[in-house]
Amino acid sequence: MNETTESPAVKLTGLTKSFGANRVVQPLDLEIGRNEFFSILGPSGCGKTTLMRMITGFESPSGGSVELDGKNVDGVPTKSRDLNMLFQSYALFPHLSVYENVAFELRVRRTPKREIDGRVREALDLVRLGAYAERKPAELSGGQRQRVALARAVVGRPAVVLLDEPLGALDQKLRKEMQFELKRMQREVGITFIYVTHDQEEALTMSDRIAVMSEGRVLQVASPTEIYDAPASRFVATFIGSCNVLDGVVDAQGRTVVVPGVGELPASVPPDARPGTGVTLAIRPERVRMTASGTGTPPVGAVAGTLVERVFLGDEWTFHVRLASDAVLTVSVPSGEEAAALGAIPNGGSVVLSWLAEAARVLPAEEVAA
Amino acid sequence: MERVTSWIARLVFVFLYLPIAALIVYSFNSSEVSYRFDGLSFRWYAELFRDQMLLESLRTSAIVGVIAALLATVIGFLTAFGLVRFRVKGRGFFLGAILIPLIVPEIVLGVALLTVFSTVGVPTGLFTLVLGHVVITLPLATLVLMGAMSSLDPSLSEAATDLGASPWMTFRRVLFPLLRPSILAAFMLSFTTSFSNIVISTFTSGVGTTTLPLRIYSSLKTGLTPELNALGTILVVLTLGVILIVGVSQMRRILAGPRP
Repeated sequence: MNETTESPAVKLTGLTKSFGANRVVQPLDLEIGRNEFFSILGPSGCGKTTLMRMITGFESPSGGSVELDGKNVDGVPTKSRDLNMLFQSYALFPHLSVYENVAFELRVRRTPKREIDGRVREALDLVRLGAYAERKPAELSGGQRQRVALARAVVGRPAVVLLDEPLGALDQKLRKEMQFELKRMQREVGITFIYVTHDQEEALTMSDRIAVMSEGRVLQVASPTEIYDAPASRFVATFIGSCNVLDGVVDAQGRTVVVPGVGELPASVPPDARPGTGVTLAIRPERVRMTASGTGTPPVGAVAGTLVERVFLGDEWTFHVRLASDAVLTVSVPSGEEAAALGAIPNGGSVVLSWLAEAARVLPAEEVAA
Repeated sequence: MERVTSWIARLVFVFLYLPIAALIVYSFNSSEVSYRFDGLSFRWYAELFRDQMLLESLRTSAIVGVIAALLATVIGFLTAFGLVRFRVKGRGFFLGAILIPLIVPEIVLGVALLTVFSTVGVPTGLFTLVLGHVVITLPLATLVLMGAMSSLDPSLSEAATDLGASPWMTFRRVLFPLLRPSILAAFMLSFTTSFSNIVISTFTSGVGTTTLPLRIYSSLKTGLTPELNALGTILVVLTLGVILIVGVSQMRRILAGPRP
């Protein structure tokens, strides 16, 4: 191996892009490791596609630089970058067979003829489409086309494969299957995957790390569990999964959060939080415990509320509870005896909510809810 | 009501194809006059192949048609590529400028061309004929190719680039094979437009470069001879032949299943 073994697969330094006066990607730094399954997650229009296109070289950055495998590639054309892209539309060549689609890169890069067949077969076997080599893309299902596109992207053994919302065009069931398939294939080929998506579930199930983007900024880069359990901002908390948010201030002792109209609520206030600062309290619905009023002693820091709606979702119940401040919290309870008992509480019934202090994250207040 | 419409449809068909049928039937008529059928004969075909003037004009039309259609297709391809692929400044202006010959009356174009040629001092002949025909066929070829190109997924050429293909390889391996039917269509449309043109040819042809339509038109004065029926029949058969060949090969491509 050469001396660049230790360098990250992709390193972005101060990378930014503007279209006219409109800055779609704010200057950002990011390192993506070798063999990492890295997701860039954000709502449409957050700049994630532009970011990806700058890595591929389809867009030239307005500032900053891109390093691939330790080498600066600013000004290097797309065709000479050691990466491939899997397009949202798959972009299979409709006039070529599956075999020739996969062989395209090898032929274009003048790989020795005797090598081509073996490598194409290997790539097709990886995506389990060996039997479809002679078909045309139009004769394949959406999921199969997707696999051909993947085989075509990995056949040249690039260091990095970028995937642009590749599951967007598939139906729900196929999407779930492909999530596992993609992860399996990524492990098998040992290539860095950069996966761009707006679907938080895809990002959570497949990624080693996730970068959450909004309005051209990377808000948080962390593992899926960390992103979910310890979101760094209100946007991340509400964009990934569902989350209850309440605005309040840190109390005088710096131990709990006072929410106007509700009172003191248990929260994991960071030690450096100054009393009186405005904060956002974020609590996942599954971390909230709900009991009917008058059943036993309510735990410390419990909040009274009124049940306004119950929704049965099959594997869980979702309850909407209005607090004294008129804020509505969501509580989810997995189906079972407890949920069934709670489901028997009529709309308008009084309930008591409680949670552990560590379940309530304290986040910096944001002026505008994202 | 349905019976009425179905009869109207039949009448329209008769009206469309009766002249062509009559043309073919009368080309085998032995009579000198076209309104009386005297009996079967190949006489007019024989006369046609002895009519040097007519054959000469057929040759001129074919040469002009092929060259003008080739030029229109090549220039049209490049124009369409530029306009579809790049958001260039003044795109609307360019598009408008190319399509103007479709809107301006041909007679005006013809006069304008002749004015320019005589001002610059270019003698009318094959060269001016071709230029004139490119002016009227270029918009057609451009429109056909623009339509085809904008229906192509732009990520196809990005994918080719991403996989290491140079612009030329992208064209040769991806764009050209996918656009081939449309390129052929643009060429054919340009050729037939040029081949049947009278107005522009009137102004741009010179001595010795009379096109076939001009020759036929001028023979109206002396009276149409039945040999024109023979010529017409040959052209109809040729056209049908080309359509069949192109059509069959297209159908085969569409119907062809996976190769064994």
